[in-house]
Amino acid sequence: MNCTRMRQVLDAWIDGELDAATSTEIDRHLAECPACLALKGERGALRRELRANAPRFEAPPALRAAILARIEQTTLPAPAPARHRQWLQTAAFASIAAAVGLVAGLWIERPLPDDSLREHLVASHVASLTDPQRLITVVSTNQHVVKPWLQGKIDFAPVVRDLSADGYTLLGARLDHVGDRQTVAIVYRKRNHVINLFAWRAADYTAEALALQSARGFGMATWADSGLRYAAISDIERTDLEQFARLMQP
Amino acid sequence: MHDPAKRARFESTVLAHLDAAYNLARWLTGDTPAADDAVQEACLRAFRFFDTHSGTSAKAWFMAVVRNTCFDLLKERNRYDRHESFDDEIHGLPAAERDAPDAAAGRNADAARVRACIAGLPAEYREVIVLRELEEMSYKEISAIVDVPIGTVMSRLSRGRDLLQKTMQDTGARRQS
Ligand SMILES: [Zn+2]
Repeated sequence: MNCTRMRQVLDAWIDGELDAATSTEIDRHLAECPACLALKGERGALRRELRANAPRFEAPPALRAAILARIEQTTLPAPAPARHRQWLQTAAFASIAAAVGLVAGLWIERPLPDDSLREHLVASHVASLTDPQRLITVVSTNQHVVKPWLQGKIDFAPVVRDLSADGYTLLGARLDHVGDRQTVAIVYRKRNHVINLFAWRAADYTAEALALQSARGFGMATWADSGLRYAAISDIERTDLEQFARLMQP
Repeated sequence: MHDPAKRARFESTVLAHLDAAYNLARWLTGDTPAADDAVQEACLRAFRFFDTHSGTSAKAWFMAVVRNTCFDLLKERNRYDRHESFDDEIHGLPAAERDAPDAAAGRNADAARVRACIAGLPAEYREVIVLRELEEMSYKEISAIVDVPIGTVMSRLSRGRDLLQKTMQDTGARRQS
């Protein structure tokens, strides 16, 4: 690896997009090239500054309602249109189709993995995002408050960890039902992205290794330990979700 | 009566990503009312089509619709505002951000400066920076949204960061002198 090549791949490496072999070459080059090491440092500082000072704008609460109202309007049965009107509609439709058509191809049929449970979990995650009242029942950034609260409500004891040193802020927890299972959702936040950590009883799962997948555009990390199954769901960076899940491992 | 199941599916697959969509639209259009308009319009477009496809790339698909709608809206806006050149509107500083450096005199100086620097990036770099740094999406997802090869995503991110680093150093130096 030389400096020219290094500059081409440095950003992809920082973004966790490169394979292990190339990453090893990069490490080797950084160890012996102060100029490239300095650039790496600048990129790190840039990312910290962006994440500290560039807001992730959140959709105003009224926007969702406005969208649903307009969808309601457009889907009302229209009176049978006159011929020219129908043509106009077709033309309008075609222009939208052209705008959307470019990307429609990438929406490929690929059902979620076998477990319909996962579908339910994603639905619960989404519902909690769109209805903040539903997000958290016990509000606390202290695991010593959240844990006892859970103990009074459920007959199992999921891990609740303080990961604030790693940038994951505990927000609280809520009880949830996924299918007919009693679950608990422990809610964390990192950089304005919410993470729902679901836990539920599964006696036949003594242990299951950490697995990562994508579900409806969200990242999902699953594992099991001591008769409990866990699923962490978020739209946070995938490498961070993996880190979060690893920090939760026994 | 329309199909309530379709609406429920729309909510769970498309509207699930409303915050991500709004954030992208806010950075692309540069102001709140325009972001609002663009996202509403994009949702209407998406609602008509989302049901004819299904799968797990719903987010990238929806984000692409939002992105295209934003650029349509900016072009439309430009048509009514001819004294501003196309390039200025699409590739320049969004209207609401133009005064940001002055507003930076206050206590949020750093935040305002960083925002102005991002807003000042040409749109092709701004969008990949927002998708990567704020939405934390993978190159593959960004490639699908922006509709360019992954190699292009890579080079735009690299160039975008070079530009950002430079403008942030420049404005930072000016501020201190
Ligand atoms: Zn070097």
